[in-house]
Amino acid sequence: MRSVKIPVAAAAVAALVLAGCGTTSDKTSGASPGASKSCKGADGKYTIGMSQANVAEPYRQRMDDDIKTAAKDVPQFDVKFADAAQDNAKQVADVENYITQQIDLLIISPNEAKPLTAVVKKAYDKGIPVIVLDRKVEGDAYTGFIGGDNVQIGREAGKYIAEKLLPSGGNVVELKGLAGATPQAERHEGFVEGIKGNPKVKVIAGASGDWLREKGQAQMDALLKANPKIDVVFSHNDPMAEGAYLAAKAVGREKEMKFTGIDALPIPSGGIKAVEQGRLAATFTYPTNGKEAIAAAKKILVDCGTIEKTQTLPTQTIDASNAAKVYAEENPNG
Amino acid sequence: MTDVQDKAVAATPVGQSSAGVAATLFRFQSVFGLIAVFIAAIIFSPRKNGDILFISADNLANVVRAVSEIGIIAVGMTFVILIGGIDLSVGAVLGLAAVGSAVLMVENDWGFLPSVVLVLLIGLVFGALQGIATAMIGIQSFIVTLAGLQIARGLARIWSGGQGVAIAYGDGPNEAPTSFALLGERTFGGLVPIPVLIFAVVAIAAVVFLRISAFSRHLYAVGGNEKAARLSGVPVVRVKIAVFAICGLLASLAGIVHAVQLNQGSPNDGIGYELDAIAAVVIGGTSLAGGRGSVAGTVAGALLLGVLNNILALNNIDSNIQLLIKGLVIVAAAALQRLRPTS
Repeated sequence: MRSVKIPVAAAAVAALVLAGCGTTSDKTSGASPGASKSCKGADGKYTIGMSQANVAEPYRQRMDDDIKTAAKDVPQFDVKFADAAQDNAKQVADVENYITQQIDLLIISPNEAKPLTAVVKKAYDKGIPVIVLDRKVEGDAYTGFIGGDNVQIGREAGKYIAEKLLPSGGNVVELKGLAGATPQAERHEGFVEGIKGNPKVKVIAGASGDWLREKGQAQMDALLKANPKIDVVFSHNDPMAEGAYLAAKAVGREKEMKFTGIDALPIPSGGIKAVEQGRLAATFTYPTNGKEAIAAAKKILVDCGTIEKTQTLPTQTIDASNAAKVYAEENPNG
Repeated sequence: MTDVQDKAVAATPVGQSSAGVAATLFRFQSVFGLIAVFIAAIIFSPRKNGDILFISADNLANVVRAVSEIGIIAVGMTFVILIGGIDLSVGAVLGLAAVGSAVLMVENDWGFLPSVVLVLLIGLVFGALQGIATAMIGIQSFIVTLAGLQIARGLARIWSGGQGVAIAYGDGPNEAPTSFALLGERTFGGLVPIPVLIFAVVAIAAVVFLRISAFSRHLYAVGGNEKAARLSGVPVVRVKIAVFAICGLLASLAGIVHAVQLNQGSPNDGIGYELDAIAAVVIGGTSLAGGRGSVAGTVAGALLLGVLNNILALNNIDSNIQLLIKGLVIVAAAALQRLRPTS
């Protein structure tokens, strides 16, 4: 349904937006025990196990889909998928099953860091290269980590609101993700930094919508009653931003304010379409890294190379000026 | 009285001699089911270099280790279902116990024994209170434990500050004693995990307890016909409170095992575990109407689910199809119950 997105175009736009904040890397993992052992080169056949924290979130379903799509272009790869359904214990069992199956490489997006650390190390110590996506594990017993930078994304959103949406100041309400979740804290931290440049921007209220559309809507109902003047709603993800929009629309106030989200999934129910259709003023991409994970796997298994220990992918601002174009690029086959 | 006792005796393993071949088959449906699923797992197991991956020692150890938490809970659940009740709070109590172990040992620097004892006590008291609410106030156990689920989850979130509490081991401050880590280790040639041993001890203790104690007869009597049991002098209220207390205690024990296996106590642990435990009990042949069933059946039921989970995962069956297959197995087990001849 969708092939690889155009990296050049994406990189160009990202470079414009980020002005120099691109891919960063720490040290390379030359000593990875898995890399040398598993590589049989281009003639080999490789089974890759992908352990996903849950597929209930559209973002994670898209991550699986991106991996599936990218793997189609590598004939040597056969990718298996497991869904841990948000249960750490199930994800541990999923990885153990992959070890039993003697997979050639493990891709994992952990539900939580601490409970998955031991089993990831177990796989790594058995010589299976491990690529960790989006959420980290503790220690350094993995081959490479690929993820977005939530602080950076929050900062971009804050700057956009302070400079583009409210240059002469205004009232902002913040709809936060699940309390206690790392991305929630990091997006908030970045956002606060991002709006600092414009002291006339005031955050007048905040509420937690737990990442959920319906919760975002309910919280916004209350925020609307309590605050007669709201200029911008900054939401930690697109579904909550959509919920907030619905709440404002229900009381006829949606035109008074602008809504921004985060994630920008290139799917019909995602943030890019919401921007295109005018409900959201902007959203900021949080890359799924699926394509990058397969590229890294190819480097390790087929090219017998090494990968960067940490690969941080840049965010991209999506607003009315580029939404349709980016959506088309991400879904070249419609 | 005689009616109740007949029913009770027929349901206990002691009364087996009077049962017909068909009844025996039905009584041990979960054991036969387990054997069938096990054989199927061997047949459908992926192979690598001639080895059948399913029956590799490592994999079988993984299967029983993954089953042990649900198994421990399911033993307690069997008691509750035998008296015609249900306990929906066990998953949340597991979360509360996991959080409790982590907070006490890591943040409050408590020792291994006092922490474990207090956490077990919390589960016991929590269960007993639910028992009191059903037995003395007369609220249905479904409602009481539904409320209990919310309360335990709320307590777990408050106690942990809404976040998972990571467990590091050592002698320093903010470290759990290394003796706690031993609970998750492997033993017997490095193969059998301690959680499996705990599950085995719990299951054997429950089976023995049901065979030798008078409490067992009371249990089946209350489940078979509560009114008749009361009239014949069975201390119904006490039995009910004890049963819910045992169930809470075992859920709490499972929570301790959970925390040590994941090196973390998270307030969101154990969501949906009550349903897996109920499934194990139902597959084990225990009637949801109460009065009929056995712990041995539940153990076989839990293992059956574990083997099924494992073989579906080893074959990389799509997770949505896995749900479907497990659902069908539960329906099939319940359907077999309907066919079972009444003694």
